[in-house]
Amino acid sequence: MHEFSLIKDLIRKISTIAHEQHASKIISVTVKLGALSHISPDHFRDHFVLASRGTITEGARLNINVIADKTDPLAQDIILESIDVDVQLYT
Amino acid sequence: MKSRTIKVDYLARVEGEGALHVKIKDNTVVDVKLKIFEPPRFFEALLRGRTFHEAPDITARICGICPIAYQMSSVHAMEDAFGVTVDGQLRALRRLIYCGEWIESHTLHVYMLHAPDFLGYPDAIQMAKDYPDIVQRGLQLKKIGNEIVALIGGREIHPINVRVGGFYKVPAKHELSPLAERLKWARDAALETVRWTATLNFPDFEQDYEFVALRHPEEYPFNDGRLVSNKGLDISVHDYDNHFIEEHIQHSNALHSVHKGRGSYFVGPLARYNLNFDRLSPLAQETARSVGLSHICRNPFQSIIIRSIEILYACDEALRIIEQYEKPDKPALEIQPHAAVGYGCTEAPRGILYHRYRIDDRGMILDAKIVPPTSQNQKTIENDLWQFIPLHVKLPNDQLTLQCEQAIRNYDPCISCATHFLKLKIDRV
Repeated sequence: MHEFSLIKDLIRKISTIAHEQHASKIISVTVKLGALSHISPDHFRDHFVLASRGTITEGARLNINVIADKTDPLAQDIILESIDVDVQLYT
Repeated sequence: MKSRTIKVDYLARVEGEGALHVKIKDNTVVDVKLKIFEPPRFFEALLRGRTFHEAPDITARICGICPIAYQMSSVHAMEDAFGVTVDGQLRALRRLIYCGEWIESHTLHVYMLHAPDFLGYPDAIQMAKDYPDIVQRGLQLKKIGNEIVALIGGREIHPINVRVGGFYKVPAKHELSPLAERLKWARDAALETVRWTATLNFPDFEQDYEFVALRHPEEYPFNDGRLVSNKGLDISVHDYDNHFIEEHIQHSNALHSVHKGRGSYFVGPLARYNLNFDRLSPLAQETARSVGLSHICRNPFQSIIIRSIEILYACDEALRIIEQYEKPDKPALEIQPHAAVGYGCTEAPRGILYHRYRIDDRGMILDAKIVPPTSQNQKTIENDLWQFIPLHVKLPNDQLTLQCEQAIRNYDPCISCATHFLKLKIDRV
C-alpha cells in the first residue's frame, strides 16, 4: 500500500532535480532496490510508468539494480542513484 | 543540447498520506480542508465472492494497529446474520483480546505520537533523550497489550485465532496466569500514565459535539450495546444505515460520514467516556476524579488523559476476566450459513467500527460495507480546525502548523501511521 506514495516521492524528487538542472528531458533513471524493500523490479516498473505519466519523467528509460545482499545497510531501501538528462544550454 | 548524468543517491520515503490546507484572509480563516490521499484499498469489493468465515482475516489486514477491531466487527456481523450468540467464556475472551488491543493502540498514541506534541518534541525518539523513564514505561506498557493479543490471537499483529463463532483454539487457565502478573504492573503503569498526562498543558478549547458510542446495560463497551449519543440517538446497530450516511467529497479519498439530520459527530475515547463513565471500573472512575476530571470532558486535547484512563480500565478489566476465566468446552460454536444480512459494530480504539454484510445461502459474501472511525471523525476534525485556527491565527506559520497537527492528533486518526503524516499548507492572502 505504500508503493504509490514512495514512487510519487521519487517522481517529485526527479522533477525537482530536472528543474534545478534546467533539464529539458529525462533520458533515463537508475534506481537501486534493496533485497528487503518489499517491492519486485516488475512491480516497481509498473508503478513507475503509471506515476510518471504527465510528468517530465514520462518515457524515461528505467534501470533497476537489485541489491541481493540482505545484510546490506540499505537492504530495506529504494535509492534513486542517478538520472540522465538532456540539458538546455544557455549561451 | 547536452546530455549528462546526475548522481543523486536519494532514499525514497513514504510520503505523508494526509494534508491540511488552510486559507487565511486578513487573519480570518476562509477555508479548511483535511485531505486524505492514501489510495483507496477496495476492501469492500475484495470481500465479494469470499466465504463468510474469511471476513475476519481479510478485514484484519485493513489495519496493523487495530486488527482486533476489524475481526470483532466482522464476526459479530456474521453471527448476527446467522442468528448465533457467543456468550460465556468465549465472549469474555473476546473482551480480553480487545483489552490487549486498546492497551497497545492507546499506549502507542499517548506516548509515541501525542505526548511529544505537548512536550515540544518532533517525535518520541527525541523525547526519549530527556524523558527516558517515561518513554520506557510506554514501551513496556504497549508490550503487555501486544502480549495479550499474541496469547489469545496467536500473534501480535494480524492475529489468526479469531473465527466466526469463537476461536480456533482457546487457552487453558494456567496459560493466562503469567499475564496476570504482568498486568498488575501494567495497571500501576497505567495509573501513572493518567497522573502524568493530567499534568500536561491543555489549550482551553471545548465544542458542543455530538458524541456517539456504544452503550451496554452493564459494561464499558467493547463488542456490543446500543448506539447512543448525547443528543438523543438511541438505536440498534441494525439501524445504523438509517441514521448515518457516508458522503464522497472531492478533496479526500476517505469518505466523510455524517449523521443524516445533524451532520458531524464524534467517536472514540472521549465519546465512550462521556456516554459510559458510570460503566468504568471503580478504580478508573476514582482515578479520573483524582486528576480533576468530571464525568464529562469536552476538550479534545484532553483525550490524551481519557485514552490513559481507558488503558487503565483495559488493564483492570483484563485482570478481572483472567481471574474469572475457565476454559470453555468448545473453542467455537457451530455456524450454519444461510442467506441473510448481518450487522456488527464494535468499539475500535479510535471509535465505532461498523460492518454490514449480505450473504447468500452458500455463505458467500454478496456485498460488504465497512465504516471505520477515522472517516466518522473527519468532519469533526475539520470543524475543530475552523474554530481552533482563529484563536492562533497570529502565530507564525511554523508554530501554527504544530498547533494544528496537535489538534488533528487529538483524534488519533489512522493516517498518523505514517510518521510524517501531515503536510500543512497555510495560505495567507
